Amino acid sequence: MPKIFIDNTSYEVKAGKNVLEACLTLGFDLPYFCWHPAMGSVGACRQCAVKVYKDENDTSGKIIMSCMEGVRDGMHLSIDDKAAKAFREQVIEWLMTNHPHDCPVCDEGGSCHLQDMTVMTGHDYRRYDYKKRTYVNQYLGPFIHHEMNRCIQCYRCVRFYKDYAGGKDLNVFAAHNHVYFGREKDGTLESPFSGNLAEVCPTGVFTDKTLRQHYTRKWDLTSAPSVCQHCSVGCNTIAGERYGGLRNIVNRYNAEVNGYFLCDRGRFGYEFVNSENRITKPQVMHQAVDENALMHHLETVLTNHSLIGIGSPRASMESNFALLDLVGKENFFCGVYNEEMMLERRITDILDSGKIPVASLKQIEDADAVVILGEDIWNTAPMMALAVRQSVMKTGGREATEKTPMPEWHELAVKELQQNTKGFMVNVTVTETSLDEIASLNINAAPDDIARLGFAIANHIHPSLELKNFEEAVLAKAKTIADELLKCSNPVIITGTSCYNDPVLRAAFDIAAALKAAGKAPAIAFVVPECNSMGLAMMRGHAFDTAVRRVNREPNVTAVILEQDLYRNLPAGIVDEFLSKCRNIIVLDSLNNATTEKAHVLIPASTFAEGDGTLISYEGRAQRYYQVYVPDNKYIRESWKWLSRMKMIISGKANGHDPHHDSVISSLETALRQFAGISAAAPSSGFSIHGEQIPREPHRYSGRTAMLANRNVSEPKPVADGDSPLSFTMEGYQGTPPSSAIPFFWKPGWNSPQAVNKYQQEIGGDLIGGNPGVRLFVKSSGNMPEFFKDYPEHFRERQNKWLLLPQSHVFGSDELSVYSAGIAGRSPEPYMGLSPVDAKMLDVTEGSQVTIKSEKEEYSFPVKIVESLRNGIVLVSKGLPGTQGMSWGNWVELAK
Amino acid sequence: MQHLTNRAKPVDRKPMTALEKLYLWNIAKGMWITLKHIFKRKATINFPEQRREFSPVFRGLQVLNRDAEGRENCTACGLCAVACPAEAITMEAAERQPGEEHLYREEKYAAKYEINMLRCIFCGLCEEACPKDAVYLSETFAPSNYQRKGFIYGKEDLLIPHPKLEPEAYQQALGTRAKRQEKASSN
Ligand code: SF4
Ligand code: SF4
Ligand code: SF4
Ligand code: SF4
Ligand code: FES
Repeated sequence: MPKIFIDNTSYEVKAGKNVLEACLTLGFDLPYFCWHPAMGSVGACRQCAVKVYKDENDTSGKIIMSCMEGVRDGMHLSIDDKAAKAFREQVIEWLMTNHPHDCPVCDEGGSCHLQDMTVMTGHDYRRYDYKKRTYVNQYLGPFIHHEMNRCIQCYRCVRFYKDYAGGKDLNVFAAHNHVYFGREKDGTLESPFSGNLAEVCPTGVFTDKTLRQHYTRKWDLTSAPSVCQHCSVGCNTIAGERYGGLRNIVNRYNAEVNGYFLCDRGRFGYEFVNSENRITKPQVMHQAVDENALMHHLETVLTNHSLIGIGSPRASMESNFALLDLVGKENFFCGVYNEEMMLERRITDILDSGKIPVASLKQIEDADAVVILGEDIWNTAPMMALAVRQSVMKTGGREATEKTPMPEWHELAVKELQQNTKGFMVNVTVTETSLDEIASLNINAAPDDIARLGFAIANHIHPSLELKNFEEAVLAKAKTIADELLKCSNPVIITGTSCYNDPVLRAAFDIAAALKAAGKAPAIAFVVPECNSMGLAMMRGHAFDTAVRRVNREPNVTAVILEQDLYRNLPAGIVDEFLSKCRNIIVLDSLNNATTEKAHVLIPASTFAEGDGTLISYEGRAQRYYQVYVPDNKYIRESWKWLSRMKMIISGKANGHDPHHDSVISSLETALRQFAGISAAAPSSGFSIHGEQIPREPHRYSGRTAMLANRNVSEPKPVADGDSPLSFTMEGYQGTPPSSAIPFFWKPGWNSPQAVNKYQQEIGGDLIGGNPGVRLFVKSSGNMPEFFKDYPEHFRERQNKWLLLPQSHVFGSDELSVYSAGIAGRSPEPYMGLSPVDAKMLDVTEGSQVTIKSEKEEYSFPVKIVESLRNGIVLVSKGLPGTQGMSWGNWVELAK
Repeated sequence: MQHLTNRAKPVDRKPMTALEKLYLWNIAKGMWITLKHIFKRKATINFPEQRREFSPVFRGLQVLNRDAEGRENCTACGLCAVACPAEAITMEAAERQPGEEHLYREEKYAAKYEINMLRCIFCGLCEEACPKDAVYLSETFAPSNYQRKGFIYGKEDLLIPHPKLEPEAYQQALGTRAKRQEKASSN
């Protein structure tokens, strides 16, 4: 470890870092703008100046940019040096000459890096009183507000948007002192990662437009650590509330998962919580009732009937377990049909065997090769796609700097050396995807053929099977891919359930297994449909089909359906059949949907913002989200609380009290061994530091004695939170809380999100106390994995039948986020994709309506001709509003 | 026992004599003091007919200010609320829509602005914090009220009358502030 001297005190620092990172890691407050821990240094802003000395005898030294200088052993430098300080103050004075100084109006105010840095450098008096340069702002769509006058030309926005996230429509224009960051012309920012601009931009040029509609300063938000509910990646978020409404979602750093970023679905999809469509009162037979009447009615329908429960892939572990506990293990079903269930079971089996480790997003970023088999991750797990992009770029950078050594943080230099060198990434999907442009190889094929290619690759790496009837072309491709993979050391294989094809999953496993056999360190990632699909699959309930058979057999069934719209996930025919056969239907959910309409008893459930819960992400990482605020509506409670009440009714032990989170989690651990360790995902509710809880509100929270005074002048006692160590007040422990319970990032002098620096063990590294979440797949087996070997026949078109596959969309395919106006506006019209040949055969053109006929249902959609699609497949938009669940992976008929 | 102050005096607990017990002397002494006051200047005034003159730095009821065109100055920046030591101010921001430029001076405004007068300590920090000259403490008291909730002042209670639509009421609400401001700016 190099030893450096800062202002004559010696420190040990990590080699390979730049001086700025080293200083920040050591806890020094050194101002910066253009450097970003995830994007490296470009030396554009000149803000991070320090003085370096030749040796200990040098007294004059010279000013350098600390972000552009690597640490060297024996380096002498000074942060406090007068000249360096004056330099930094002057730089910010320059940057501020054209700045509008409109903090009161600016949405960034109070969480602004520019404010923080201005205060840090001590610049407090404006000497320049000439006319300021002004710009015309642009309309950038529903998510991002643009106010170009505030720009300080750090270039972070374009570096993130174009270089890091691969966006095309944000750029820098003009020159000199009037550079402009924006689009060529007004219009929606296309990248699904555009929301990060609000956090990446150190000023108020790009701000969250959805927050603007109910604007609240960061210091006025009641926030809680949360977990994104909109896909299986499980990005960590912070959700903020004021006046009983959710106001925004910002990133919560987790070095192993989402790092510094979020996708727009996760960031802007929160408004469903404030939606008009919320279920607000319990209903019995569509009549609103009060709690007594509800409990009374529940007593009659719960007792003397046989109970079955339908678990939900988007409800928390606690709620699913409370349901299982209520109905009993043998009566617990999942709202997922058999084919999908088998896929998920395959995935959990593979992961549980521990033969191949599962890849976190961080591991994907660090992988030196990526193979994607059959999953359009750009649309089903957006942040994973961003991680894949980093792998490709970083690997390219490493290759390019092999001959000319260049530290990784030296962004521009690395890019210059790298040019178009990219890491190895193969994207094998059903149709073209947005990741194609960075892939070394794109292959579009039918699911069975994707699997066959996968098996062929595995076989090339480690011959384990006899390949019969394989086309030469496939074998040749497999060989190229296999040869490339053999050059790597830690490749990642990504696949998922979107193909509704088990062989694809097995093939992915076989590639990983073969790589392991070849002495590599592969990892695997399986994308599943919903935020807790993995948790539900791990519970090993029966598939929905079994539930249907059950109600057909048994006449007197009360079904308890947990937080899901069955009509969205399953074909309508089978759901109708099921619901018509149930004697009583109890539904718990937060938003009205087709299933809640059929409920005999409807119970309002909390969303993630009003309740506590744990979700299990695709990597088997159990992550806790905390209640953000207590809703005024006392009926809105976590499903697990309602379900526990129901259990008490049955057992006759009702005492009017809800169970605490700790007890639910510990019963889950004892009842289902596969979840052992899940309680470690978060500190227990009794946890305190020096007897203090962790406040959800910053110490500057304002209006405490006035906020509720219009309702009642006597200030109510703050609500106690029996479920977590967080308090609903501004009082409490002001130091760094445990990493899984950080309600907001703030440190003295660091009001912006970049305060996260102070919560990390090293800059850009793990959080102090380790990254949040516990991985539940802990087994690891050194044994050589067994190969699956059973490859499928290759895909054959059928006469007048098409294989029905889903096309997901970042915006629209997720059930909850479409209740946010911005997301709904970006969601496309549903369509049906057909190959040009098939379209011709059916004699249809782009836009003509075609009807899909499956066993019981008919749906019609406008046709879109998809060049890259194989013949014999029909691709239909999944989950968009107005569409219904379909029998994905089955053969359907088409008619004009 | 240890005294908490060095000025403690021991109490004389001698029993009173018979003469002392009649209190005659003390009553006379008291009557004399009362009589004396009849000839002194009155300490009270006939409020509300009569009013005292305020010191120029008097801090009374808050006023939400408008500019000369009658547009609300407040941009709902929240600085007054965060400065308030009694946590007595709360507001909700809203975005000015096209066509509302004559109502609000800045692109955001306070859709709701409330002060809990029971909590306010009239320290004036809100006025000091405000970057938009949008809130200031006037020369009036918060009037009494029969109900506690009458002390929760909303925008309708706080906003200064419109200078163009109700010029007289505006001038009155402005009080001596306009003059003081003029004086301050001419200095
Ligand atoms: S818009 Fe923001 S991120 Fe981009 S250059 Fe300006 S200040 Fe930097
Ligand atoms: S939708 Fe998925 S990728 Fe996007 S923020 Fe949420 S968890 Fe992350
Ligand atoms: S005068 Fe002082 S106590 Fe009253 S509202 Fe203003 S800042 Fe708060
Ligand atoms: S009164 Fe002034 S300080 Fe308070 S919110 Fe309005 S503009 Fe800001
Ligand atoms: S942070 Fe070093 S020059 Fe910008």
